[in-house]
Amino acid sequence: MRVVVKLYGTLGQTFPGYQPSRGIEVNLPEEATVRDLLAHLGLPERAIVIVGGRVLPADAGLQNNAPVSIFQPIGGG
Amino acid sequence: MKLIRVNMTDKTIHTEDVPPEYAGLGGRGLSSVIINTEVPPRCDPLGPENKLIFAAGLLSGTTMPNTSRLSIGAKSPLTGGIKESNVGGMIAVAMGRLGIQAIIVEGQAPEGELYLLKIDGNGNASLIPAQEYKGMRTYPLVEKLLATYGKDYAVVCIGPAGEYKMPIASVQASDVDDRPCRAAGRGGMGAVMGAKGLKAILVDRRGKDGNPVADPEAFREAVKNLVQMIKSDPMNAEVMPNLGTAALVAPVNSMGGFPSYNARKGVLDGWENICGERMAEIIKERGGNPTHRGCDQCIIFCSNVYVDKDGKYVTSALEYETIWAMGGMTGITDLDVIARLDNLCDDIGVDTMSAGVAIAVAMDSGYRNFGDAAAAIEMMEEIGKGTEFGRILGGGGVAVGKHFNNPRVPAVKGQTIAAYDPRALLGLGVTFATSPMGADHTAGNVVGAYLTGMLDPLKPEGQVETSRFLQIAIAAYDTLGLCFMASVALLNPEAFEAVSKLIGAKLGQTLGPDEFPFGLGLRVLKAEREFNRRVGFTKEDDRLPRFFYEEPLPPHNTVFVIRDEELDSVFDF
Repeated sequence: MRVVVKLYGTLGQTFPGYQPSRGIEVNLPEEATVRDLLAHLGLPERAIVIVGGRVLPADAGLQNNAPVSIFQPIGGG
Repeated sequence: MKLIRVNMTDKTIHTEDVPPEYAGLGGRGLSSVIINTEVPPRCDPLGPENKLIFAAGLLSGTTMPNTSRLSIGAKSPLTGGIKESNVGGMIAVAMGRLGIQAIIVEGQAPEGELYLLKIDGNGNASLIPAQEYKGMRTYPLVEKLLATYGKDYAVVCIGPAGEYKMPIASVQASDVDDRPCRAAGRGGMGAVMGAKGLKAILVDRRGKDGNPVADPEAFREAVKNLVQMIKSDPMNAEVMPNLGTAALVAPVNSMGGFPSYNARKGVLDGWENICGERMAEIIKERGGNPTHRGCDQCIIFCSNVYVDKDGKYVTSALEYETIWAMGGMTGITDLDVIARLDNLCDDIGVDTMSAGVAIAVAMDSGYRNFGDAAAAIEMMEEIGKGTEFGRILGGGGVAVGKHFNNPRVPAVKGQTIAAYDPRALLGLGVTFATSPMGADHTAGNVVGAYLTGMLDPLKPEGQVETSRFLQIAIAAYDTLGLCFMASVALLNPEAFEAVSKLIGAKLGQTLGPDEFPFGLGLRVLKAEREFNRRVGFTKEDDRLPRFFYEEPLPPHNTVFVIRDEELDSVFDF
């Protein structure tokens, strides 16, 4: 499956040439989970993944073509 | 440590040792306990019976970093209940180093009189007539004060809004660069200061070692341990120094909980233009500073300096809550406009959140269109000039809603909400409803539980417990003078134990396992709840406005579903 990932906080800085307006296109196996996506990108498992307005747990599955947003954990503001 | 009592009626000043009943308290705890003990609950908040407390944190002025918070408390003209609003900058550390735990301003100067309170390097306080500063905005005021009295002073002051006694008037504090850009915004503490006839307080920053530590060796060890914990927290290590609190714009919009267009939608169209990532880019491109210290003894650097296209200073720090109130709520998606509105708020001396929501309620009532930047600036200028409509705006969102007969005002106990919609982020609704302060986010900001994956924001389960835990812990940390960023890194049992050792070393006692944060936090909350009860607040005041229960919020199209009995169980102690 293919997902488009947008990175927030300082996560984009770890991917040279990252453009916030475009994000990153990632190809994953059909059954891939949030954990698989983070591992594929080399991001820590504590990263927060939001799809369709919901924060997804690590074992949640991903949908083909779904826009995925990834954040660093934030304790408040 | 000393208390300085300043009587504005007869201009007398008394210095006393902190009495036993207030011992071991600082910041919010001291302010709230003094108010509950000494202020008649049914007094006029803008009259002589009210007291205005400026309390340095228990640890302000020690070597513990990030303890530069000053708690400002009184009976609030906005909520009618107890209020503590805390601010960073330089002054709390300056007070602590002079051995001053709190300044208590009592009585009232005759109408038309205005004073400065100056505390010199020996801790001696004096009142100085300040007619020449009447009506001045805070930036020129602080510049003139420091030119007159020397650069070694930390300042808190009010702008024209405080002199007009507007219920959303702030007290502004000078930062590391001597700019009055840090605000004790909430609850109209600036109006109380204006009513007392006090324009500014100056405290000499050259004090040394005034805040005594009973066991310096153990204190040093505990500080070392806690510094490690604060610095290794991912939020404080990575996000805050690069984006500041504006980092929350993206995730809160992504969760559908960013109250937009006066809380008609949970996602702002064009939020990408005003998010923290974009803000940091703009600041860097223009030669501003995205990693600014802001407050004395800070090791996190969540502040920033926002500059215009020519690299000229506009404001510091541009924060999440301001971006939301002046951007999300008003539908303005231009950071340059939002930064200018932030500067106007600081200069005029009003809370950015309350002012932004007041403007948004006016827009929602058809006074102007959402997204109209010129109208927002014009409304801010009306507040600054004290025009008739400016005074309505200066009364906050509830006053504006009454003026236009618009019931869609997101407020609890008269105070409008912060940047989290209770319909999509249920736990924030619990905190807004039940905090003794009115709708206040710092009192127990559950967003951290969502953005660390601990809690689902849309499921009722766990919201009450999390809000309760946070409200108790934060009440305790607010008492120490520790800033919010450091506090959220220290919300686990290991950190609580380390902080207990720190307090024990400071006071020369051994704290029991239940004393911090629970014993201390509960003591503070009980005093605050008791004051509010004596004012006449009941559980019916611990509710959100009706539209949060009835009007679904897109995109999740949910309403606030925490039951009244569950809200009543938050402080069932």
